[in-house]
Amino acid sequence: MMNSILRNKNKLLIILFWIFVWEILSLIIAQEIYLPSPHAAFSSLMNLLISKDTYITIYYSTYRTLTGFFLSCVFGIFLGIISGIHKTVYNLLNPLIVIIRTIPVMSIIIIAIMWFKDTNVPIFVAFLMCFPIIWTNTVSGILSTDVKLLQMCEVYKIKKSRIISSVYFYSSLTYIKAGMISALGIGWKVTSAAEVLSLPKYSIGRFLYDSKVYLEIPDLFAWTIIIVSLSFLFESLLKTIFKFGDKYD
Amino acid sequence: MIKLINISKKYDNLILLKDFNIDFEKNKITCLFGPSGVGKTTIANIVAGIVPVDEGRVVGIDNSLFSYVFQEPRLLKWYNVYENIDFVLKDVYKPDKRAEIINSYLEMVELSEYRNYKIDALSGGMAQRVSLARAFAYPSHILILDEPFKGLDNKLKGEMSSLFLKMWNLSQRTVIFITHDVEEAVDLSHIIYTLKDRPVNIIDRLIVKNYANNKEEIKNLLLNH
Repeated sequence: MMNSILRNKNKLLIILFWIFVWEILSLIIAQEIYLPSPHAAFSSLMNLLISKDTYITIYYSTYRTLTGFFLSCVFGIFLGIISGIHKTVYNLLNPLIVIIRTIPVMSIIIIAIMWFKDTNVPIFVAFLMCFPIIWTNTVSGILSTDVKLLQMCEVYKIKKSRIISSVYFYSSLTYIKAGMISALGIGWKVTSAAEVLSLPKYSIGRFLYDSKVYLEIPDLFAWTIIIVSLSFLFESLLKTIFKFGDKYD
Repeated sequence: MIKLINISKKYDNLILLKDFNIDFEKNKITCLFGPSGVGKTTIANIVAGIVPVDEGRVVGIDNSLFSYVFQEPRLLKWYNVYENIDFVLKDVYKPDKRAEIINSYLEMVELSEYRNYKIDALSGGMAQRVSLARAFAYPSHILILDEPFKGLDNKLKGEMSSLFLKMWNLSQRTVIFITHDVEEAVDLSHIIYTLKDRPVNIIDRLIVKNYANNKEEIKNLLLNH
């Protein structure tokens, strides 16, 4: 208990330190258009937080991020397990994953704008950016499965489907969890980026874009604080779910 | 009778078996005795069908089911004791029958109280007892024990040996028992093959009951090979 209070106190002090640095820098620069003061940014944030539209916007952006993330988990884990077990599937998918990894996010967003309607663009982009991370981690997890356990399954003539669900899956679970945590963070970033370009009606990206157009830089900072907070919140939630799962497994 | 006939097996350039022949009597405990690395495990794995042969054939194992007690327990650490045994029985028995079998074997290895314990919470000796219970709970015709008591202290080794004999007496399966421990070989086996050289040769085939009145003699024979 005492340790946790001290840890939180330290964290708070660190945050305060960086806000202080931000304040000093904004005073030195003295131009809100380049760097608004923490006070201006937090005032904008307060204004946003009392508006109903903000919550609708957060709801839709969260929905897009989580849908893209969820799809990438389903496909990433499923195809990752198959690719980890069957070398041919791995060889077939690996070049595609390498290409997806190297294509600039902006190119993907622009292509997606051509293919989908505005609200689905961020979902597709989040999916495409998160999928390789989860796929790669799942494959690594499968490959790390103890060969000795597989040999035991062979001796006891365990069905392939049960080897997958009871041995491969659990062996790669730590890798899958780590992949999901990194993918979720990236999901938030790319969803916002895709929203800036595709401009769905209710989206954080649209507000980011508007604040650039209207030079409302404190608003830009306020929305950025909201994205960072959401990302942090959902990451903590995911970690808590994993911890809860471990405890009651 | 299980027979390995003219078996050859090599790993890269290492010839482990060349025109090798050996018999295993049904419902008897046959020991493969010899130094580490001689090829004892490979021979057992060939019988179990988990190592393919380059040449030769294995007869007498048609439709046989195998169970195996490995050097290390090879249990699924994300499952508890009960689930680990249940894992190998799922495709063989209905749930009620499984519960009955698992409970009786857990009782035999004195782990009933630990049925819900995760594997990580068990000591090495306890984990190996689960592995032994799993091997006997499975309706195998042939049981392979690959140095199952390695790494256990003498007291635990003694306990495990008695447990093994107690369980074996109930079902009297064909057992291939691998060891390089003279005491274990003599105390647990009916027939002992002494293996040596590379490619491996059978140096001796000893029938333990012939030395029932003079165990020291058979031990000396094994030590002097």
